[in-house]
Amino acid sequence: MTFTDVLDKDLIKVPLEHSTKNAIIEELVDVLASKRGKSHREEILRAVLDREALGSTGLADSIAIPHAKTAAVDKVAVVVGISRLPVDFNAQDGKLSQFFFLVIAPEKEASAHIEVLASIARATSSPAFRRLLQSARSADEVMRLFLD
Amino acid sequence: MTEPFHRMLVYLDGSEASVTASMAAIVLCKRLEAQLTAIYVVNTRALQDLVKARIFLDVEEREYRRDIEGDADRYLRHVQRLGRQKGVEVLTVKSSGTVHTEVRNHIMENKVDLLVLGGISQIHSRRDELLSETDRMMRTAPCPVLVVRENDTIWDMFETMPDMEAGGQ
Repeated sequence: MTFTDVLDKDLIKVPLEHSTKNAIIEELVDVLASKRGKSHREEILRAVLDREALGSTGLADSIAIPHAKTAAVDKVAVVVGISRLPVDFNAQDGKLSQFFFLVIAPEKEASAHIEVLASIARATSSPAFRRLLQSARSADEVMRLFLD
Repeated sequence: MTEPFHRMLVYLDGSEASVTASMAAIVLCKRLEAQLTAIYVVNTRALQDLVKARIFLDVEEREYRRDIEGDADRYLRHVQRLGRQKGVEVLTVKSSGTVHTEVRNHIMENKVDLLVLGGISQIHSRRDELLSETDRMMRTAPCPVLVVRENDTIWDMFETMPDMEAGGQ
């Protein structure tokens, strides 16, 4: 499984409305909850925040990949969010973050989970691609960039 | 006339598609009297990449590795049981490393003549970095590859084949 297998236009939000770390995590979880059902929203949010408490998922190069496994979902889901302005996500390189990939996986799908995470890391490793992503103005454009 | 395939390898990754592929492989091996091996590769390459990219903490890497090792044992046992049910001995291999490389090496070292895979990606990107492990295996395997699309036909074929454990031998 790869990131593009689970890429869903309805789970892409451009631009994000919030500008603080926790508010962005909540916004991404809300995108997922509005598509997959709100009943597990709190459980998913708790799992993501618990993981985040162990160490920031803000990486280098403006990328953040908050993630968690939880019984609240039955298949791997990825929510993509792009912030118009860079945000302080406590990134490991001390810089601001702009591209957010929320990855939520069922507890029993460890293999699929790591494949999706690894494919996001590979896909966003190119500076040229990140520049294109930065210029995307809609979910359709983001979809096109990944599927091109 | 000799049968076209003698040594088949089915790749398991814990997905429903890979279990369906195993069922198809069992049916084929029964009909062709071929030998069947199921392989599960713990993707330690991806785990290492995630730690290197600092997406995973060390504690997560250990936890996920343990989960995947457990999945590997469970799914390999499951396919062995499916084979026994139909009177097909399924050999199992648990390996670790880069998935498509491990599978390719196993094929060459064991003279596998057919690789059976579950569904490949529905959405195709031209970008190499977005290829799934199953796609990579299909492209790099040094032998013919059978891609089993997940559908009810395979389940029907498997279910209608007489059980051996129930006394049909």
